[in-house]
Amino acid sequence: MLQRHVRVGMLVLGLAASTGCYGGIHDFGKGDGGDAGEDAGEDAGEDAGDDDAGDDGLGPVDELPAPTTRFFRLSHTQWESTVQDLLGLPEPTGLSSEFRADPNVGGFIFDNNALSLEVDGALWSGYQRAAVAVAEMVAADPALVAAVAPDAADEATRAREFVTNFGMRAFRRPLTDAEIATYVALFDDGQTLYEDTTGFEAGVRLVLEGMLQSPHFLYRVEDSEDVVGDVIPLDSYEVASRLSYFLWNSMPDDALFTAAAADELRDGEAVRTHALRLLESPRAQAVVERFHHQLLQVDKLTGVAPSPAFYPDAPANLGALATEELVRFLQYTVFEQDGSWGDLLTSTETFVNAELATLYGVPGTFGTELTRVDLDPAERRGIFTQIGFLAANSTSAYPDPIHRGVFLAKHIACQTIAAPPDNIPPIPAPDETQTNREAIEALTEVAGSECVACHKTLINPFGYPFESYDATGAFRTMDNDKPVDPTSTAVLPDGPVPVTNALELADALAADSGVHACYAQHWLEFAMARPHADVDQALTDRLATSSLDDLSVKELLVELAVSRPFLTRSPEEM
Amino acid sequence: MKTHRRTILKGLGGFTLALPFLEGLRSGGTARAGEPLIEPFAIFLRQANGCASEQDTEIGAEPERFWPSQQGEITPETLAGRALDELVDHHQRLLAVGVNAENFDYGDGHARGAFQGLTAIGPVVAGAGGDAEANGESIDHRIGRELNPDGRDSLFLYAGRNTGWLGGACISYRGPGNRRAPLHDPMTAYQTMMGVDGEAISEQLIQRRKSVNDLVREQMDALLASPRLSGADVQRLELHRSAIRDLEDTLACNLTADQEAMLEGQAANFDSDDGDQVLAAVRAHMDVAVLAVACGYTRSVAIQLGNGNDGTTRFSDPDTGELMENYHYISHRRLSHDSSGDIIPNADILHHKIDRHFAKAFKYLLDRLQEYQLPSGTLLDSGLAVWINDQSQGPSHSSRNLPYIIAGSANGYFKQGMYVKTEDDSTHCRLLNMIGTAVGLRSADGGDLDDFGDPGLPKNPIPELLA
Repeated sequence: MLQRHVRVGMLVLGLAASTGCYGGIHDFGKGDGGDAGEDAGEDAGEDAGDDDAGDDGLGPVDELPAPTTRFFRLSHTQWESTVQDLLGLPEPTGLSSEFRADPNVGGFIFDNNALSLEVDGALWSGYQRAAVAVAEMVAADPALVAAVAPDAADEATRAREFVTNFGMRAFRRPLTDAEIATYVALFDDGQTLYEDTTGFEAGVRLVLEGMLQSPHFLYRVEDSEDVVGDVIPLDSYEVASRLSYFLWNSMPDDALFTAAAADELRDGEAVRTHALRLLESPRAQAVVERFHHQLLQVDKLTGVAPSPAFYPDAPANLGALATEELVRFLQYTVFEQDGSWGDLLTSTETFVNAELATLYGVPGTFGTELTRVDLDPAERRGIFTQIGFLAANSTSAYPDPIHRGVFLAKHIACQTIAAPPDNIPPIPAPDETQTNREAIEALTEVAGSECVACHKTLINPFGYPFESYDATGAFRTMDNDKPVDPTSTAVLPDGPVPVTNALELADALAADSGVHACYAQHWLEFAMARPHADVDQALTDRLATSSLDDLSVKELLVELAVSRPFLTRSPEEM
Repeated sequence: MKTHRRTILKGLGGFTLALPFLEGLRSGGTARAGEPLIEPFAIFLRQANGCASEQDTEIGAEPERFWPSQQGEITPETLAGRALDELVDHHQRLLAVGVNAENFDYGDGHARGAFQGLTAIGPVVAGAGGDAEANGESIDHRIGRELNPDGRDSLFLYAGRNTGWLGGACISYRGPGNRRAPLHDPMTAYQTMMGVDGEAISEQLIQRRKSVNDLVREQMDALLASPRLSGADVQRLELHRSAIRDLEDTLACNLTADQEAMLEGQAANFDSDDGDQVLAAVRAHMDVAVLAVACGYTRSVAIQLGNGNDGTTRFSDPDTGELMENYHYISHRRLSHDSSGDIIPNADILHHKIDRHFAKAFKYLLDRLQEYQLPSGTLLDSGLAVWINDQSQGPSHSSRNLPYIIAGSANGYFKQGMYVKTEDDSTHCRLLNMIGTAVGLRSADGGDLDDFGDPGLPKNPIPELLA
């Protein structure tokens, strides 16, 4: 089928067997790496009992931070949420829609790779216009002016307190005396520099313009430089910012600022308390959703368009429905059920309306709103047997075991699979005597071909179990009047696992330590805004062990937030 | 406040630009009293997926539908019936070149075409396919970095869905692995260029901007002064600092209110799958590009239409008014998800129709550039418009005989009115060096540009292309 040719980079037919198409699977669970149930500290060399946490409250001493930038530019979403919180607005300004979009980075799943977040001329221009617009809006609203600059004994004191207090929140750390003096001078200048605003409001306006264009607002700046042991501990304000931008995608709240002012956030247990508190907010749900939206390539659902010739009853908005289902499933499983990655992989619960219920074959009467249901455990298990993943990785007529397989192998099992060679032949028109699987096998698993090495062993076996679901995600047992064959032997990080269907594959994924390591790795990349590095492996392995032991996703995030790599910097600069 | 001498250029179509002569924006040389100075420029338009030229495919032979009927002088007769006949009004200013690029191991034909198109360089990591990045700077960025006032970024503009294969925008690079973000909304591109959001420029505005900018520059300088910063952090902070613009650098040439409204209307659906809407946005980008080069804002603009394999844009069939299948499928002659799963009927003709869409868009650009009469010719004569393609043909992904359609001579550098199919290897890299030279880039010793692209590739000019 053409799809394999047209998306040739994703098709991954691989190189000839002699060059190999396969590499990069972390040898988790084998050798000395730390099998499930083993101490994380067995290699630490410290006399620390069951774990080698050291005595600084920062977690195991063998989990070291990778070198990273000192300047984490706010993403556009973070700019919106930060301005909203800074000014106490009921909703975002929407001004970031005029910022130029950030570029994608090859090989990095998420949109927050800190090194790629630059301020070029086009973005500077966007920031400048937005700062002017925000400042004008605030200055024209007496309630907003009063909120950012409460009354004081006199106007000079009021101005100074505005600069000091608002500035601390804008820069996410106390201003220095020199900075206060500079902005007070700017305030004074501003009082006569607007045609349509005068006096105190004009001073507020110019200071806002200045602060919102400052690098101390636009970047999370990490200044700490004192090396203690093998790390540079972050100060409490830096920790507050890391924590709030990780779990809320926005600036610290008052409670975090209070804790930072008391220098309480240098200790893992104090951070744990705040992390748990932040996770109770709907803001954290949005962050978890954003992570999975990118990991699971949910954007592909906008392109779902089942052929009316094949699926005349498929809803026209199938992609949108499946997206909403996924969002509800995540919220429910992670936040209401305190579910783990294993639960996401194997749950038989989901949310359906009438149209989705029909596709799933769920009996009963449903309306237009999504409600929670239990799916047939003989047909469904987990997120990859839900309609979204299945329909997004199909053509409009046929399931696509190659793309389904590549996705699971690369993004869920973190296997490295090479790109296919150029000029691979297009997929022939379907043969009515073949099942879809037989057609794929005939094209990609011919003995001696340059395709077979990757496809037969690594890619296709992840996709064949999902032949039990058609291009709309509906369950099927027949294909072209022949029985569907969903059996395969999937090569998981812990080793090959024979499965008879997608249900067993879901169970196998949930039981594989490498799959949990892969999930932990992705969360680390998302939290740290950089690619996974070798030095991260100790932390990733520990998180994977716990996740395999049913650590909830929320707890996994907390463990990340209280880890040594999260609370410190590497003495080595990028 | 600097003094501005203003010269009004009336376009033939009544499209008026107020074209100032801003002393602060000159790059070298001395002023000629009363004369606006248009430095050579390059505007690139990028098409994916090759063109409908003569080829043998696995479903049959296809005739020539793109290139002129013979090499040498381009005439209305040699263009007749080919996609390039959309440009017949400009045939005397065309230089149609088939160039040969490299078989770099990007791991994917689309990546190989898109990433080397303006860089002439291979990947950061070989064989990465959809995860690839180019390992060098693109020529449009090089032109901006060396020739624009204060090294201002060249304009990189994008129309169509900015997602999908190769991550959407993918042709312009700041350096190895450092892909640039585009301006997607033409109105944002216009506002970025103007630097003033509809405000009247007053002394108070100038002072406000200066006060804030000076403060921010001081803060940036303080951060940059730290000896512990990594090279990567220094580079990012310096990029930010250099981006800060004072009002003295603001363009005083602008569109009228009516023209801005027209631009906004064209620009409305820049993020669309509908080819007609995307082409409207491209035309809006072209209006911005013309304004930008005419006003001296930049010496280089790159306009990308569609993502890495343009797999989301569906162009309309001018004969039926219906949307065709997505361009990528047409370019491969096959469709994976209709009721038959078979070839797209007459896909080569549909590809030809898409080539005509691009040709018409290119004509729009040339028409706009031609409207401005300068003492030495037209605005088009002062620079180059270059229509490039990632590949020569869709089914094969070939990098040989890539269509690079140049219009304008950059003040007499390039031959005009000719079709040349180069036969030597690596003529693509040589052509990019020629384009750099034409626009004003020079080698370290002041001669023709000879250091752009992969170090192992030849850089010498192609004699047949020189005027």
